[in-house]
Amino acid sequence: MPKRITWRQFLFVLPLLLLVSVFSLYPIFTSGVYSFFDYQTNDQTRNALYTEGHLNAPLFHEDGTYLNFYLKKDLSLVDETGQQTIAALQQDILEAISPYAEAKQPLALSGEGAKQVTAFVANIRQRVKDLENAYPDVELNISKSADSLLDEMDSTVVGSNFIGLEGYKRLGQDGRFFSALRNTLVFTIISVFFELLIGMGLALVMNRAVRGIGLVRTVSLIPWAIPTAVSALIWTYLYDGTSGIVARLFTQLGLIASPELLLTSASGTMAAAIIADVWKTTPYMALLLLAGLQVIDHGLYESASVDGAGPVRTFIRITLPLLKPSLLVALLFRTLDAFRVYDLIAVLTKGTPETLSIYAYKVMVGQGNYGYGAVIVLAMFVCVGLIALLYVKVLGAELINE
Amino acid sequence: MKKLIALLLVAVLALGSMAALAAEPTVIKFAAQGDSTPATQAVIDAYNASQSAYKVEWVDMTNDSGAMREQLITTLKAGSSDYDVLSLDVVWAGEFAAAGYIQPLDMLMDEAGLKAEDYNAGSMASGAYSGKQYVMPFFPDLGMLFFRSDVVSAEDAAKLVSGDYTWADLQAMAEKYMGQGDTKDGFAFQSALYEGLVCNANEFTANWKDLKGGLEAMKAMIDSKATADNIMTYTEGETHNSFIKGESVFARNWPYMWGMIKSEGTIKPNQVGIAPLPGGSTVGGWLLAINKNSKNTEGAFDFIKYLNSEPGQIVMSQAYLPGYNAMLTNEEVVKNNELLSMEGFQNALKTTIARPVSAEYSKVSDALQQAIHAYLSGTGTVDDAVKAIETALAQ
Amino acid sequence: MTTLVKTNRLKPQGSRFNPLSWLVIALFLLIMVFPFLWILITSFKPGSEIYGRDTAFRILAINPTLSNYETVLQKGILSSVKNSMIVSSITTAYVVLVASMSAYILARFTFKGKRLLMGLILGISMFPQMIIVGPVFNLYYNLKALNSYWVTLAYSTITLPSAVWIMVAHFKRIPLSIEEAARIDGCNLWQMLWKVIFPIAAPGVFTTAIMTFIAAWNEYLLTLTLNSDKAYHTVPVAINALRTQFTILWGEITAATVIVIIPTLIIVLLFQKQIVSGITSGAVKE
Repeated sequence: MPKRITWRQFLFVLPLLLLVSVFSLYPIFTSGVYSFFDYQTNDQTRNALYTEGHLNAPLFHEDGTYLNFYLKKDLSLVDETGQQTIAALQQDILEAISPYAEAKQPLALSGEGAKQVTAFVANIRQRVKDLENAYPDVELNISKSADSLLDEMDSTVVGSNFIGLEGYKRLGQDGRFFSALRNTLVFTIISVFFELLIGMGLALVMNRAVRGIGLVRTVSLIPWAIPTAVSALIWTYLYDGTSGIVARLFTQLGLIASPELLLTSASGTMAAAIIADVWKTTPYMALLLLAGLQVIDHGLYESASVDGAGPVRTFIRITLPLLKPSLLVALLFRTLDAFRVYDLIAVLTKGTPETLSIYAYKVMVGQGNYGYGAVIVLAMFVCVGLIALLYVKVLGAELINE
Repeated sequence: MKKLIALLLVAVLALGSMAALAAEPTVIKFAAQGDSTPATQAVIDAYNASQSAYKVEWVDMTNDSGAMREQLITTLKAGSSDYDVLSLDVVWAGEFAAAGYIQPLDMLMDEAGLKAEDYNAGSMASGAYSGKQYVMPFFPDLGMLFFRSDVVSAEDAAKLVSGDYTWADLQAMAEKYMGQGDTKDGFAFQSALYEGLVCNANEFTANWKDLKGGLEAMKAMIDSKATADNIMTYTEGETHNSFIKGESVFARNWPYMWGMIKSEGTIKPNQVGIAPLPGGSTVGGWLLAINKNSKNTEGAFDFIKYLNSEPGQIVMSQAYLPGYNAMLTNEEVVKNNELLSMEGFQNALKTTIARPVSAEYSKVSDALQQAIHAYLSGTGTVDDAVKAIETALAQ
Repeated sequence: MTTLVKTNRLKPQGSRFNPLSWLVIALFLLIMVFPFLWILITSFKPGSEIYGRDTAFRILAINPTLSNYETVLQKGILSSVKNSMIVSSITTAYVVLVASMSAYILARFTFKGKRLLMGLILGISMFPQMIIVGPVFNLYYNLKALNSYWVTLAYSTITLPSAVWIMVAHFKRIPLSIEEAARIDGCNLWQMLWKVIFPIAAPGVFTTAIMTFIAAWNEYLLTLTLNSDKAYHTVPVAINALRTQFTILWGEITAATVIVIIPTLIIVLLFQKQIVSGITSGAVKE
């Protein structure tokens, strides 16, 4: 079997390598780059990665056009001297902006160029002020907008938004990040715990049943197979404060004080999310464990029962050790799945309890802050690595067997 | 010779008009939220019938404004020209303008002879950014108190209409009148964890001036028997469901509910009175803006202009308030919108208050919602909430 | 690999099965099925009964109606089913092709960096998908690939690792002798995969296809961010777009849910064996 590969075999792996590179390695690398920048898509001065100075040329042109638009209205309000002043202003502005009439993107700008633009804006500002002072009694159109337009023109000179490790420093002081981390851990640990417990119980029961197991297996697969976003919506309805039957049932059983708490209170939403997750993935866990149980040689059980071992002893002495390899792998994957939970909570409560994925999504998509969003997802990435390491090194999960 | 010219002219005109008839109208895509009233569709139909150069198509966005904002941002960030005219919540305009997603309208307005001061001041102000005007009103909105005039005594009604009452007074009245006239609850308002919570808290705290007192009044209202058990899941939908079916005596909602009472209410308009809210009326509503990457700027503006003209406003007034000030006293508009003839409503119009204005509004709002919700749901103290709100507002 | 059927035959233990176990199983089945039943029931209720305080919890509608179904069909819920079909089919087709090619090499050859590659594939199946949202959005924006079926290529991050994993497990079980015989007949690498390995591993290939299809069908985040245009919304995104702020129309949402669950139900009923094999092949050692 050990054969070395040539370029022929390499070609077979190439498509995989390409897809992995573009859709996994490249995003990780790019996120790393983003994390060093104050990169916010909803802010024109920071909506790209600027390592050097830039001029937001379209906006510079637009603002200049607006200055001239207001100046033109003022032509009829002043005397001839004023008209000449305004005409000269208009001419200078036009000259400054006309090179950018067709610009669609920010243009690179040298330090010298930046100084020139700033000086130009200051010059125009002064001349507008002079104009206003010359005509104190006239209500000039330019007066209303000149300041904010010139401020905006100033802001079109965009410096570098490279911030180095600032984003990471911010993460260290971000209480919301740590509360999201805590929520994520609570959600993960509790839901995986119950999935394991109930899943194990079911697997043991199913392992004994022969008749009817087909039905149980089919029914188990349905919650697992339907989209999480759809099942979360189903649960939103079941939990609804007014029309939700589960909310009502829980209230009548005395589990919650009133039906709306499931989707509004902090502990309610956490419980709601965990129950929905346990409902959806316990059957999956049970099937995994069942498969593990079924490859255990029954001869071992028989010799145990001959030795007079009770069911609990048999379980601990025989079943558990033999099940351990598949158990750990199943647990690892479930833990990581739960850790990155997004669909379920995004749909169920539109974001409470706020987990890391939810927080990252809100920062990236909601606030358009790709820079800090990248810091958060990279932190998640590190957490995932730590969890995997914990399973492999401490618990001894075997992931790659040759 | 003259005849020849005349003939030629006729021929050219005929050809021209034939070409115009044959030419397909340019399609203008209008990205707007779903409308539970027929007004949006009606005004689009009216515009399309009024001219033949453009045909407006309504891109029905989700009704969930948070989701709609994300959808718009995702599309606009990508530089898409899919939408020409955008309907924006008043609180988004600053952000969209700052991000360069929408284009300034001053020059277009100037060309068309429109003056900014002729339109709803609050709406125009929420879209004035860096010396440029980026929006015109779609329809302005304001929070107000609806009450059952057939249940509430004349004396109390007069007090409400005058606006001379406190939140505690309202709670007392809600407790007193609940159950009367087949009602089940006293007061319905919005306290679910979403933007509406900010609007309501704005009113309870009198525009964030009395944070502690306002929040405590809000919690007292939630905890009182006068509100439904699940009041903390209430958005506008739950509120109108309750009020128009005659299940609550008082409700805080936007003017659209008046249209619903008329069209599908179990209760009738003559059973309903309107009053200002104790802490002022939060201004809401929607704005119209043009996508910076639109390929049909002229058509887009033509539609916006129509919406803000007399015929457009008359159609819109079947469900919404006019954004064109001259229409506030227009006979037909007032006929369509009885609200304008009501003293309580006019009083509410006088006490409008704005939500915080910010280019990063979503961040501010998010922080406010979290802080308020934590207190109302009992997981935080009022002092923590006050502190968190102050921090958020200072941003 | 698991051998469910074989071990069951070894020692049927049904005789020792007690009523308590049956009760547990019955309760389990009830809990699993109940949400679907309730959704089905609600979908036939008119709005007034769903929201009415006295009628919300009735099992049977007083005035059953099909209007919820009519409304959601009018709103084009079927176009999202069509999109999901297209997107899942494309994904399945290319993922099975790419995975089987590389799985063959991984199962049959040793080479420098093989462990690294296996580890990488495993790592990708674990990492938070949120990480690809920002960079891939920008990439698609620059390539003008937003709002298109190109989203299917991005689905490779969620489907490819497990596909490779399942395929490797299946390929490894094919005896080498078969290939050696074929090699003497002069088969090249490509022919070996397609004419020799593929037919023998057909059940495994099929399992991979089903698992990939389901994973693609269920994807939410990438479609939500890369395809904001309604015309490309798949089932999970489209059904959530039915939510509104002013009123949550549970009648429509439950009706839509019933409609969009049907394809999944069919797949589960027809292919449950393959699905179980797919679920367990990553976790259970031979």
